[in-house]
Amino acid sequence: MTELVVENVEKWLGGLKILSGACFTAEKGRIVALLGASGSGKTTLLRCIAGLEQPEIGRIVIGGKTVLDGEAGIALPPEAREIGLVFQSYALWPHRTVFENVAYGLRLRKRPAAEIKTRVETILDKLGLAHLAARYPDQLSGGQQQRVAICRALVYEPKVLLLDEPLSNLDAKLREEARFWIRKLILELGICAIMVTHDQGEALAIADHVLLLKGGSIVQDGTPIQIYGQPTSFYAADFMGTNNVLSGAYEAQADGGVVIRCEGWSLPGIWRDAEPPRDASDIRAVVRVETIMVSSEPTATSQPLDVEGCIYLGDKWEYRLRRGSVRLRAQGASELSSLVAHCTVQPASTWLFNP
Amino acid sequence: MSLANDAPRFRAGVILALFAMVAAPALLVIYQSVLDAPFFDDNVRFSLDAFRFVLTDPEFYRALWTTTLYAFGMVVVAVPLGGLLAFLITRTDLKGRKWLEPLVLVPMFLSSIVLAFGYTVSVGPSGFVTIAFKSLFGAAPWSIYTLPGIILIGGLSHVPTVYLYVASAMRRLPSDLEEAARTAGAGIWRVSLDVTLPMVLPALVFSAALNLLLGFETFGIPLVLGDPNGILVLTTYIYKVNTIFGAPTYQVMAAVTVFLILITLPLVFIQRRLLRHARRFAAVGGKGARTNLLRLGSTGQAVALGLIGLWLLVSVFFPVGGIVLRAFVENWGEGVRLTEQLTLANFKAVFEIPSLSRGILNTILLAGVGGAIAVAFYLLVGLAGHRNRGRSGTLLDYSVLIPRALPGLIVGLTFFWLFLFVPFLIPLRATLISLLIAYIIVGLSYGLRIIQSTLLQVAPELEESARITGASIYRSWRDVVIPLVKPGLAGAWAMIMIVFLREYATGVYLMSSGTEVIGSLMVSLLTSGAMDQIAALSFISIALTAVGLTLALRLGAKLHD
Amino acid sequence: MITRRHVVAGAGALTAAAMAGNRPALAQGIPAGYSADYKDLVDKAVKEGAVSIYTSTDDVQGRPLIEAFRAAFPGIRVDYNDLGTNGAYNRVISEAAAKQVGSDIVWTSAMDLQMVLVSKGQAETYKSPEAAQLPAWANFNDQLYATSVEPVAIMYNKSMLGALKPPQTRAELIAFLQTNKETLKGKVASFDPEKSGSGFLFFNNDARTTTDTWELVKAFGGTDPKVYGSSGAMREKIASGEHWIAFNLIGSYAIEWAKKNSNLGVVLPPDHAAAFSRVANISKGAPHPAAARVFLDFLLSQRGQTAMAGSGAPSIRTDVSEGLNIAKLNEMAGGKLKPIPVSAALLEASDPKTRAEFFQKWKQALRG
Repeated sequence: MTELVVENVEKWLGGLKILSGACFTAEKGRIVALLGASGSGKTTLLRCIAGLEQPEIGRIVIGGKTVLDGEAGIALPPEAREIGLVFQSYALWPHRTVFENVAYGLRLRKRPAAEIKTRVETILDKLGLAHLAARYPDQLSGGQQQRVAICRALVYEPKVLLLDEPLSNLDAKLREEARFWIRKLILELGICAIMVTHDQGEALAIADHVLLLKGGSIVQDGTPIQIYGQPTSFYAADFMGTNNVLSGAYEAQADGGVVIRCEGWSLPGIWRDAEPPRDASDIRAVVRVETIMVSSEPTATSQPLDVEGCIYLGDKWEYRLRRGSVRLRAQGASELSSLVAHCTVQPASTWLFNP
Repeated sequence: MSLANDAPRFRAGVILALFAMVAAPALLVIYQSVLDAPFFDDNVRFSLDAFRFVLTDPEFYRALWTTTLYAFGMVVVAVPLGGLLAFLITRTDLKGRKWLEPLVLVPMFLSSIVLAFGYTVSVGPSGFVTIAFKSLFGAAPWSIYTLPGIILIGGLSHVPTVYLYVASAMRRLPSDLEEAARTAGAGIWRVSLDVTLPMVLPALVFSAALNLLLGFETFGIPLVLGDPNGILVLTTYIYKVNTIFGAPTYQVMAAVTVFLILITLPLVFIQRRLLRHARRFAAVGGKGARTNLLRLGSTGQAVALGLIGLWLLVSVFFPVGGIVLRAFVENWGEGVRLTEQLTLANFKAVFEIPSLSRGILNTILLAGVGGAIAVAFYLLVGLAGHRNRGRSGTLLDYSVLIPRALPGLIVGLTFFWLFLFVPFLIPLRATLISLLIAYIIVGLSYGLRIIQSTLLQVAPELEESARITGASIYRSWRDVVIPLVKPGLAGAWAMIMIVFLREYATGVYLMSSGTEVIGSLMVSLLTSGAMDQIAALSFISIALTAVGLTLALRLGAKLHD
Repeated sequence: MITRRHVVAGAGALTAAAMAGNRPALAQGIPAGYSADYKDLVDKAVKEGAVSIYTSTDDVQGRPLIEAFRAAFPGIRVDYNDLGTNGAYNRVISEAAAKQVGSDIVWTSAMDLQMVLVSKGQAETYKSPEAAQLPAWANFNDQLYATSVEPVAIMYNKSMLGALKPPQTRAELIAFLQTNKETLKGKVASFDPEKSGSGFLFFNNDARTTTDTWELVKAFGGTDPKVYGSSGAMREKIASGEHWIAFNLIGSYAIEWAKKNSNLGVVLPPDHAAAFSRVANISKGAPHPAAARVFLDFLLSQRGQTAMAGSGAPSIRTDVSEGLNIAKLNEMAGGKLKPIPVSAALLEASDPKTRAEFFQKWKQALRG
């Protein structure tokens, strides 16, 4: 069931367009991630959905109710949108206890006291916070605060749950845990969730659907696997993963294959861009670091490259390689002892795009 | 547009009401200035005679020149001293700086009329300090009735305003900037000159502009100290043109006020722009909380403490000592043995005369209860302007500026008329409410600034999360914003209380039997010359201020923003 | 909310009653010599319940009068507003224009401003039963009454003056200022006619009635003169020794101050015994017309005048034994007391041209 429809949302800040016609829908029981670098408009889009910002143009429907319609002049305030929002800073009210923080939404909805008590206690219990009900936010750890914020946003069963960088204030270990339990919780409750993040790992791990934003518009949307494995633009390909980016000229081969010609080196690849090459003399190749195979001995498909250095990363080694003016990063299990390494760059992993 | 359009009716309503309250006096003054008689006169006509008179009156130019000298002189005295004090107290390991701080601010909390009066008793030609000095050194080489004397006193009394701004800028200054310079090999004084000074320059410039403004509107000090030598500034000139024609000539008063507005309004604008810049500048610095203090060394300590001691002696001890002394004697001066003169008669008279004792009560009421009402009003205005980026927000910004450009005396006079001629206000005229409304306007920019900076400390997400959870904007103010700023409000209340305690010019025309207030009683007693009662009232005013200040500090009032 | 409250504390009534002790108290009764129907007026006044006074006489000095009135008419509350001369004038004309008259009695020392109010039709005509007891010059058309006689005086600090012999006459004062010019630099004070209505009244009257006024001002100008807006401010400076001598200040105050401070000397120069009066009128459209009449009568009556004279405003009646009265003052001035009459001539003082001319001469003379 479609819980959220965002249609052609445009938002200006002075003369600057920060959202240019974002469109997407989100389903019940699914998690959508808005992914992008800072300044991509992802947070603005989230705030527009929440009603905290007012777009000039566009339509937003939450749970079948139109909350924004630029043409019809409808713009419901946030409190009328039946949403929950988990802020990056959690925004727990410091003058209220955990219980009061969570209960506030139910109080506003004038639920009977007994019901409030059970519902708040149930959700606190579910997130392992029952023993902290009487505490004030400043007496909680970061992870606990985050869970309280989630309880507060969920307790009144909003149609859509919005999460603004929910993991960014946690330390690394907690973050990995949180990725898992937040996804589990949302799927269990079967609600529609929208999450803003700049961290691709987070987006891929939590979301069912990822929207990649750039400069206020959606560059690509799809499942995590599609976004990572089948980028349709240079931006999308380069944004995700750890990459080697090569510049060169486009050359079509007689056998129907495609080659990027760099200085003194040609690499066969596949054309991934949604559009045909605009300028054949200037295209980009994106090669994910993990797809390059490196060995000390030459193989049938390998090319020799000079080894500039090796960096120890704990679970693996990163190699810095060079051939002419082309520099490559690759990975392997052990340190390279020789001065020359032999690399295999597979055509299927050499994705070619317009710049 | 973000959420500015929330609660539009409330915001517009409050802001329009405020605008009406501040614009009415200003418009009335401008209207009166282009008439040839009081605006309520039957035969009144439009005329520029008032301006013609003012512009051809050599006294006006003299007053204008004196005012300019006074304003700039004050800046020259107050800014370096205030900056230095701020530096010593916030950036060095000066001994006793904790208790020095409230002490340094004392002159700010005294009405200038009280200060000036205290100075005549201590360092006037027959003051106790002057006499002691004369008996030690043969002569006392100063005179507080000359323009330099008045400027010096005015400047010294405004050191705290400079101190406040510079000290808060210095506190925000991250100490790593200074440490970086020190590790690069610069000594303390080098660092202060090369790093600290440029970083707090915006605050210094801002406080200079503020003092310039205060200088142009100064009233109490020239009123008392300029009297014998006929030194006039613009505000006392306004006071005097009243008598020079025999009967009050409002059009001339109004015309002079219009000139005053023309001078001060640009200053207010400059000040506002500077403030914006200063904030931006201060925001550049990262975490400024942990500052490492510069070591002064024992010689440095002695010099610094000596300097501050001297300043405190002159700025606090002399005037306050003068008042305290005068309050308990009837005669003083050369050849008078003060020990024989000690008496409680001055206080006895104050408490026996109904209007004076009522004045004390009214002042306490107006400061305490009225101060609380004022804070509530400022809070309403603050909320109306809170995160308001709409057009009404701009109107609010300008509304706050207007009263800054009007002297309190004129605000009082125009409100007297408003309460007389505006039908629905008439019943309020003979009550303290009329005074309270005028006080609220006079204290607007100060009070609102305290409230606004308190409101801004509430993180926006805390309000937004309430909205998301389902609270209307009013609910979010009631349930989140107001509870969170409550401690700040208590402090603001205490500060407003002090401002109201110290106010004197506003009530001069407004008060009547039953609504007397200390400050204005002093001005009206000054015209009949009842110095005994003035002294006693001044003493009581200082005592009340001390109580207010203690309360303010107890309530955690922030003396800085 | 806070509105007008009772002005006079109960305790005050005792002293007032004691002061009026030489006569049997006639609370609410008809004073001797008044017509029989005066009781109706008093009844009406009591029914009105209050009388509102705009004045320039400060609360300290006015209190005995108010307490005496309260003792005589306990049913009438007194709202006493010390507004200063300009303040009272301002409020009266403003309130009249707004049709919100708040004053019953306007009683100030600004004789000229009061006369302006009369000329603007802001004064009620009322023939007080006490009018017969007043000199003819003290009653203007039954609209404006003089209520005191207050000569101008010279006041000096005895110890500061030391060997210098204080001047006893106006002529001596001029000579004194001229001969001791250097010694007296910055030590001589007087009223500022620019800042003070009283100051203008004195000096302008002097200039019109005597020949040596500008000579005096010139001599004053030679001493690096200091001018003040009030007699009280001058007293403060004379008593403290900051100034040594002041002239043209209000003599009745000076006499009171000299009683309390033996270091102060006062001279009423017999060759120049000008005196001004505090003048009173009943406001047109007064909210308490009967009470206003009763108060005015009381102010002019022997009892009212006694109370006033006791707090330093010499009586205009010869039958007041408390303090000073017009006869005693005349005697002190060698029979040459010259009170400023309450007449239309006062209006001249408010004529802009007259004032401009005066100030021009004043500045010129001061410069020497």
